[in-house]
Amino acid sequence: MVNITIDGKMIEVPEGTTVLQAARKAGIVIPTLCDHPNLIPYGGCRLCLVEIEGARTLQPSCTMPASPNMVVRTDTENVRTARKFVLTLIFSERNHFCPYCQVSGGDCELQNAAYHEGMTNWPLQPNYQTFSMDASHPYFVLDNNRCILCRRCVRACGDLVGNFTLGIEERGARSFLVADLGTPLAQSTCISCGVCVQVCPTGALIDRWSAYRGRETQVEHHKTVCVGCSIGCGMDVLTRDNNLVRIEGDWDAAINGGLLCKVGRFEPMADEQHRLVTPLLRKDGILKAATWQEALDAVDSHLKPGKDGVAALASTRLSAEALYTFHQIFAGKLQSDMVTSIEEGQTTAISASLADETGKPFEAHLDTLDTSDCFMAIGVNLVDNHEVAGFFVKRALPAGAGLIVVDPEPNPLDNLADITIKSKGLDLDILHALSGAVIQLGLAKEKNPAVLDTLAVYTEKTGVPVETYLAAAKSLASAQHPVLIYGKGITSKSPAVLKALVEFGRLTGAGMISVKGSANSLAASQYHLDKVFQLNGHQAAYIALGDDKPTQRLIQRLEKVPFLVVQASYTSQLTSMADVVLPVGLWTEQEGHYVNLDGHLQKAVRSLTPAEEIRSNEEVFNAIAQRLGFEPKNDWKKQLTQRVSPVVLTIN
Amino acid sequence: MRKPKISSDWMAGCSGCHMSLLDIDERIINIVGLADLRATPITDLKEPDEKGVDVGILEGGINNSANEEVAHRMRKRCGILVALGDCAVFGGVPAMRNFFTLEETLRRAYVETESTDSSGKIPNDPELCVPTKVRAIQDVVPVDIFVPGCPPDADTIYYVLSELAQGRRPELKGDKLQWN
Repeated sequence: MVNITIDGKMIEVPEGTTVLQAARKAGIVIPTLCDHPNLIPYGGCRLCLVEIEGARTLQPSCTMPASPNMVVRTDTENVRTARKFVLTLIFSERNHFCPYCQVSGGDCELQNAAYHEGMTNWPLQPNYQTFSMDASHPYFVLDNNRCILCRRCVRACGDLVGNFTLGIEERGARSFLVADLGTPLAQSTCISCGVCVQVCPTGALIDRWSAYRGRETQVEHHKTVCVGCSIGCGMDVLTRDNNLVRIEGDWDAAINGGLLCKVGRFEPMADEQHRLVTPLLRKDGILKAATWQEALDAVDSHLKPGKDGVAALASTRLSAEALYTFHQIFAGKLQSDMVTSIEEGQTTAISASLADETGKPFEAHLDTLDTSDCFMAIGVNLVDNHEVAGFFVKRALPAGAGLIVVDPEPNPLDNLADITIKSKGLDLDILHALSGAVIQLGLAKEKNPAVLDTLAVYTEKTGVPVETYLAAAKSLASAQHPVLIYGKGITSKSPAVLKALVEFGRLTGAGMISVKGSANSLAASQYHLDKVFQLNGHQAAYIALGDDKPTQRLIQRLEKVPFLVVQASYTSQLTSMADVVLPVGLWTEQEGHYVNLDGHLQKAVRSLTPAEEIRSNEEVFNAIAQRLGFEPKNDWKKQLTQRVSPVVLTIN
Repeated sequence: MRKPKISSDWMAGCSGCHMSLLDIDERIINIVGLADLRATPITDLKEPDEKGVDVGILEGGINNSANEEVAHRMRKRCGILVALGDCAVFGGVPAMRNFFTLEETLRRAYVETESTDSSGKIPNDPELCVPTKVRAIQDVVPVDIFVPGCPPDADTIYYVLSELAQGRRPELKGDKLQWN
């Protein structure tokens, strides 16, 4: 611990704490611009200058480590003058006329800093140099004229997201922000995660929906979780008058640490799908608007009990509460033999059966990615799906973490990988070869592993050079914290492939992370909603699609079903085929719980009120249960734990 | 005690700051009680007394030779010069044209506007004032008190006027500087 004195206050802080962090801890306000709590201190803007006894000049508190018996003053005439001078220089450099802007909704950090210093004027007038704007991106706009060159966006893009798209061109006052080597954002390597927009302190990076639309102080915040995929990122949904204003990552969320990808941040804003606003009922061959009473009556009359009565499918974007009630209705009360999720267990079933078999979890938590020094991504695309997990991998690479990609298809991570192993349809052989390589190298973490002469055999079978296997095995087995990340490429195969992967994980001492599928894949799996969907003479099908999108494959398979009920938020080919359509709310319009890929149970809250006739998924299921004459049980939480999960569940 | 004399004038602005001044409503009677309101653009007397006034208030930036004259005259005739509003303090909205050349802006205004028929003409009568880059007042004459805002809040203006009328120097901070 280090004792330092700031403005006469004695403060004890751990070694390595900066003066700025120490001051904040003591409740002393030091204005900052380039500093951001989630970014590595940078010392770029010099607004946080403080006086340190014994130092020749003022020092930036954001990068200055607290040292024993340091005496700091933050509120002297000298410091105040310096702050004003720093702000004067920043204001004079570009177009920082607040009345032209107001895009940051009255929450511009530059404007606030000037207010804080009581600046009534600019001692230096602007030089009126102009910079280009980049409005090519579909989700946000870059205006270099508002940029203060704090490089928060550059650092967020590189250090947090690992994408390294943003950078600075030119020098000094002529510096400006560019994507790649001066490519328009829309054509650049930008992956549209929007973290740069969230960290921008001014109006230089603005999103297309919330900019110029009122003050940020006049919004309601709803801390919730993203249901875009199974990661379960914490987010803050900003609304005003029941309108979505913006979605931001929640910096306090342990799982994502404030990061979001385009699926969570921008796609809900850009959503232009057509909503269902009233129940629909097919009369004389035509779907017509109906009341809930009529629609539910029609559903009711077709819900016949029995194995081949109603085939039922639910989206894994539904809440755990809804999935559990769904299960009780169709598998419990109606005794149907075909009750599953629209993922059909593709991402979870074999992991779940392995856990059932061994009786214990074998997967690691997501945070192991942040301490890992070698990753193997096998049968998983972490750039197009589960993007935030991809960020965790990509941002570890510059520090020297290894990456091995095993995927028969071209994988977007290929060009970042140290080693790629490609061999069509031979995952099992590849894994045997890798295990053989670990043993041959004598690096197996398990004592006395069964000596397998698998390397030579499988090298030949897979057609991958033996050196590749040896190099991959060496880098994984000699890493401190190796992690194997696997996806559908493994989980849609046979249980033997997963077993071989687990075996390889044991030999290398690697943590295992399965990315699974949608927001509630794991919950669906825990409720045994993981069967392959088949229609065997079922008289009706009930598709609880929620705000999910139906696949062509699903639509085709449902073409012949005699009576189709679709519970959905959006119109689609599937709803147009249905006999009854029940309109339900979006994820923002209902609350419920989600179990993410590493077993954390999280609550999603309701941020918006849907239109009058729209109900929540749970309300619809409850109404159906009532008509079937039973009261659904509410022990969904307990039921989640009744099956051994592939990963330790964290259920509070 | 003699009532301090206050005079105001406007230049390259929209007169919104003077409108905001009028938004102090009946409180203007208090100001009249404390100070002697002399020439303003919204009263009959148009030029500040040659013998001088105690406080001169200027709205708007300086965008031509005529504005320069107004600024110099006010500076010469007043004791304390107040720059009122964002245009006076920073250049404000008119200063947007500084991001283009003067020629570009004149051409846009007189030739290229959608409402101009076939041949527009940039006025060049020698009797007309000469347009310049838009400047904040302090770039032309020294300013004593800055009251930013687009426009400044009526409460802020009342505070500034009443302080000046009572011989004190107003200090803008907190909700006097930032209002919603």
